[in-house]
Amino acid sequence: MNSFNTIWAKGRGDRATWLLWGLAAAFVAYTFATGGYLIAVLQFALIYTVLVTGLNIFMGFTGQVSFGHNAFAAIGGYSSAVLTTTYGWEPLPACLLGLAGALACALVVGYPVLRLRGHYLAMATLAIGLIVYEVAVQWQSVTQGYMGISGIPPIGIGSFTIASDRALLVFLMIVAALAMLSAAGIRRSRLGRAFVAAAGSEDAARALGIDVARYKLTAFMISAAYAAIAGSLFVHAVGFVSPEVFGLPMVVMSFTMLYVGGIGTIAGPALGAIIISVLPESFRTFKDYQDLAYGAALIVILIYAPRGLASLPELSARWRRRSA
Amino acid sequence: MISTATTTRILEVEGLSARYGHVEALRPVDLHVDEGELVAVLGPNGAGKSTLMNAIMGLVPTQGRVRFRGREVPRRAPAAAAALGIVLVPEGRGIFAPMTVAENLELGAYLLNDRHEYARRHARVLAMFPRLKERLSQTAGSLSGGEQQMLAVGRALMSEPKILLLDEPSLGLAPRIIEEILQKLGELNRQGLSIILVEQKAPLVLKLAQRAYLLSVGSIAAEIDPRTIKSHDELVQYYLG
Amino acid sequence: MYQFRWISGLLLGGTVALSGMSDARAQDAYKIGMSAGLTGYAATVDRAWRDGVEVAIAALNAEGGIDGRKVELVVEDNRSEPQDAVTAYRKMISSDKVRVFASGCVSAGNFAAAPLVARAETPMVLCSILPQQPDQVKWAFTTIPPPRFEVETRLEYIQKRTQIRKIGVLHDPSPYANAQKAAAEKEAKDYGLEIVGVEQYKTDDADLSVQIQKMYAAGARAIIKIGLGGTTLTAAKNIKQLDLDMIMLTSLEDIAVFRPVAEVLGDKFFFVASPSQVYDGLEDSPLKTEIGKFLKPWRAKYKDRDPNWAGRGWDAVMLIAAAARKAKSVEGPNMRDALESMDNFQGTTGLYHMSATNHQGITENPLLLATITGGQIKVVK
Ligand SMILES: Nc1ncnc2c1ncn2[C@@H]1O[C@H](COP(=O)(O)OP(=O)(O)O)[C@@H](O)[C@H]1O
Ligand SMILES: [Mg+2]
Repeated sequence: MNSFNTIWAKGRGDRATWLLWGLAAAFVAYTFATGGYLIAVLQFALIYTVLVTGLNIFMGFTGQVSFGHNAFAAIGGYSSAVLTTTYGWEPLPACLLGLAGALACALVVGYPVLRLRGHYLAMATLAIGLIVYEVAVQWQSVTQGYMGISGIPPIGIGSFTIASDRALLVFLMIVAALAMLSAAGIRRSRLGRAFVAAAGSEDAARALGIDVARYKLTAFMISAAYAAIAGSLFVHAVGFVSPEVFGLPMVVMSFTMLYVGGIGTIAGPALGAIIISVLPESFRTFKDYQDLAYGAALIVILIYAPRGLASLPELSARWRRRSA
Repeated sequence: MISTATTTRILEVEGLSARYGHVEALRPVDLHVDEGELVAVLGPNGAGKSTLMNAIMGLVPTQGRVRFRGREVPRRAPAAAAALGIVLVPEGRGIFAPMTVAENLELGAYLLNDRHEYARRHARVLAMFPRLKERLSQTAGSLSGGEQQMLAVGRALMSEPKILLLDEPSLGLAPRIIEEILQKLGELNRQGLSIILVEQKAPLVLKLAQRAYLLSVGSIAAEIDPRTIKSHDELVQYYLG
Repeated sequence: MYQFRWISGLLLGGTVALSGMSDARAQDAYKIGMSAGLTGYAATVDRAWRDGVEVAIAALNAEGGIDGRKVELVVEDNRSEPQDAVTAYRKMISSDKVRVFASGCVSAGNFAAAPLVARAETPMVLCSILPQQPDQVKWAFTTIPPPRFEVETRLEYIQKRTQIRKIGVLHDPSPYANAQKAAAEKEAKDYGLEIVGVEQYKTDDADLSVQIQKMYAAGARAIIKIGLGGTTLTAAKNIKQLDLDMIMLTSLEDIAVFRPVAEVLGDKFFFVASPSQVYDGLEDSPLKTEIGKFLKPWRAKYKDRDPNWAGRGWDAVMLIAAAARKAKSVEGPNMRDALESMDNFQGTTGLYHMSATNHQGITENPLLLATITGGQIKVVK
C-alpha cells in the first residue's frame, strides 16, 4: 500500500499537479468539443501513451535501455494488418495473436540479449528494431514492402465498429487509462519492487535473493506487450501500415516522450506523450521555424524539469519551501 | 585463538579465489566463522575485502568452496546463498533510492511468503531502528547517510539471516553515527547473530570483534586475537607485514 | 493569488495558441493543400514539386486566379513519415478547409491519409502512385506516368539500337522501383530480350559490384537500373573498376545527378528523361509550348535547376485550375468529377487523359532516352 501512496501522495493537494492535469483535461475537452484535426493528434498521443508506458516499465522501473521497442510495435501492427485484411480476421483476435508473437519474440531475443549491460544492450536492441524493419520491407508476399497494407478495418467486435473520430478518441482514452493503471499496479506489486530493485543496484538485489536476470526478462516481455498493443491500435486507427510507420523516428519520439514526461513515474509517459504530440502543433504557425521552436521548447523543459514534467510538483514544492 | 569447547562452524571458506580478467583480486583464502561469532576482516583499500564478501555471496565468479553449517553453498547463485541465510550488506549500502523505506524493507524479505512472520520481522527491525519508523513512506534516497546505512542493515535483517556480512558500514559516516551503528551490531551479535564485519579502520572494530583476519593484497596475512593487540602501533606492524 | 494568476495566464496562453491554429483568413481564396516531405528522405523531390506548384500558383494569380478567386497554397511538412502526413492532411481539411490537394511524392503518407481524404470528399492530385483501395482511388489522381513507361523506353532502345539481347535489372525496394521491376520482367520478351538477373540493393549501399558481376556472369550486357540517388554513381564506378563491357540505363531523375555518372561511363551510360529536361532539343509541338510556359517563370526564379518534378507540380495546379473552371464550383465532388473529365489536357510531362476509370492521366509514353556527351545532353530516342 505504501508505494501506492507515495506514487500519488506527491500529487495530493498540490496545485501544480492539479494544474497540469487540469490543462490536460481542458485540452482534451476542447478537442473533443471542437473536433478538428487535434482529435487525430490526441489519438496518436494516446496510442503513444500505451507504448511509452510499456517502455517505462523496462527503462524507468527496471533501469534498462531499449532502442528496439518499435520492433514489437511492428509485430503487433503487422499482425493486425495482415490478419484482418488478407485473412479476414476480427481485429481483437488479430491483435491478440500479434501480442503473443511479440511476447514470443521478446522471450527469444531477450534471453540472450539481457545478459548484456549498458551500451551493449542498447546496441543489441537497436539491431532488433532494424531487423524487424528490414523484414517488413523485404517480406513482400506478406507485408507488401514499402507499398504498405491499406484498407485495415477500424477497431470493433463483430458488427460493432468504432468508426467515428470521437468514439475512437474515447476508446483510446480508456485504453491509455488502463495502460497507466496496470503500470501503477505492476509498480506497487512484488514484481514491480523487484524491477525497481534491479534498476537500483543489481548486486544488492541479487544479494537479497532476487533473480535479477529473470525479472529483467519479465520486464522486457511486459513492455513488449504494451508496444504490440500500441502497434495494433495504430494500424487500426490509421487504416494503413508500411515499414516507415515503425521506423527509427518512433524510437526517437518515444524516448523524447519518456524523458520529457518523467522516466520512472506513472503519469510521466502520458504527460510526455500528450505534450510532445501537441507541442509541434502549437508551433505550426511558425512554419519553417516550427522545428526550431519545438527544439527550444524541449530544451527549456529539460532545463527546468530535468526529471520530466511529472517531477514539476516536487520541484515547485521545493521552490515554495525555499522561498517560504 | 578462542577455544570454547562447544563451538560449531557456521561458515567455512576453503581455497576461495576470484579474478577480474587478469587481476587476481583474491588468492586462495581459508577462513571460518563460528556460531554466534563476530569476525572482523581488516585491510587497506584494494586489499580484496569486498571481493571476498562478494565471493562468499556468489556475486562474482570464484574457485574454491564455501560451506554453511556443513552444507556446500552453490557458486554463482546469490539467491541460493540468501535462501540459506547468508546475507550481504554491500559496500556503499546498495539501498534502492527511488523506493520508499517501507519498500526497501519489503525487498529484504523478498523470499518470504508469510504475512504474520513478515509483520513480526518488520516490528523487530523498527524497534531496533526507531528512526526508520518515522520515515517509512519517505524515499530511501532522501535519507541521511547514517539512516541509509541503518536501512541497509534493517533490510538485511528482514530476511532473518543466520550470518550477516557487512562491507565497510562506516564508509562516509560521521564518528557519532558510526558509533551508533557499531553498537547496534554488537547488540545483534549478543543476541546470537554471526557477523563478518569488513573495515579499514581497525580501532573501531577491534573492541567488538572476537577474532579478526588481516587481508593484504588478496590473501590473509594474519589472524589476530583482538585482546592481544595492546596498541595501535602493534596493529600497524601487522599491516606492514 | 499568485497561483491563480499563474493558472489563468497559462490557460489564456493555451487558448490563444489554440485559436491561432484554426485562424481562417482570406475566406474567399481558393485553397490548395499540400502534404509534402520537405524534410526526410523525400525532401529533394518534394521540395522541387512544391516549388513547381508555387510557380504555377503565382502564374495563375498573376492572371487573376481561378475565375477571379485568388489561389492560396497551404503547405505542411510531413517529414516523409506516414503519421505526420495523417496529421497534416487532417489539419488542412478541418482547420484550413482546403478544397483540393496537390500533394507530394511520399506514397506511404498519401496512402495513410487516403481513407480520411476520401471521407472528407476532397480530391487530391499527387506525384506518388495511387492508393490501392477502390473507394480511395476515387478521390486520387496522379501526374506520374505508369512505371512501365520508364522501362519500355529503355527496352525499346536496347531492342532497336543495340545487339544486346541479355539484360539485368538492378533495383531498390521502393514501391515505384518494384513496379518498374515487375513491368520489366513481364515485358522483356515482347522486345525480344531475356532478363538473366534481377538484383536488389539498398539505397545506402556503398558497393554494388557483387550484384553487377553476378548479372554480367549470367550474360547480361545491359543493366536497367531502377532507383534514385547516389547508387547510380556507385554502380557506374563498379562497372568501370571491373572493366565490364556493358551499358547502363537508369531511370528518371534530376539530371544533376547524372553528370558525374557520365564522366565515369561515357557513352555506355543512358538515362530516361522527361520532355522538360531536354526542352531545348525538342521539336516544336503543343508539348513544347506548354513546357515553355512553365520554364519561363521557373528559369527566371531557379535558373538551370532540374525542371522534372517541378513540372509535374505545375501540371497538378493547371489540372486543378482547369477542373475548377469547368466545375464552376469548389465543392469536392464537383471538382472530382471535373478532374475525371480532363481528357486531352496538355501538361509539361505529356498529354493527360483522365477518365472515370483512369486516374493516372498519362497514357502515351512521353519519355525519352538521353546521354551526356561532352557535357551536352543528347536525346537518342
Ligand atoms: N569489478 C572489478 N574489475 C576489475 N578489478 C576490480 C574490480 N573490483 C575490484 N577490482 C580490483 O580488485 C582488487 C580488490 O578490490 P576490492 O575487493 O574492492 O578491495 P577492497 O574492498 O579491499 O578495497 C583491487 O585491486 C581492485 O582494483
Ligand atoms: Mg571494498
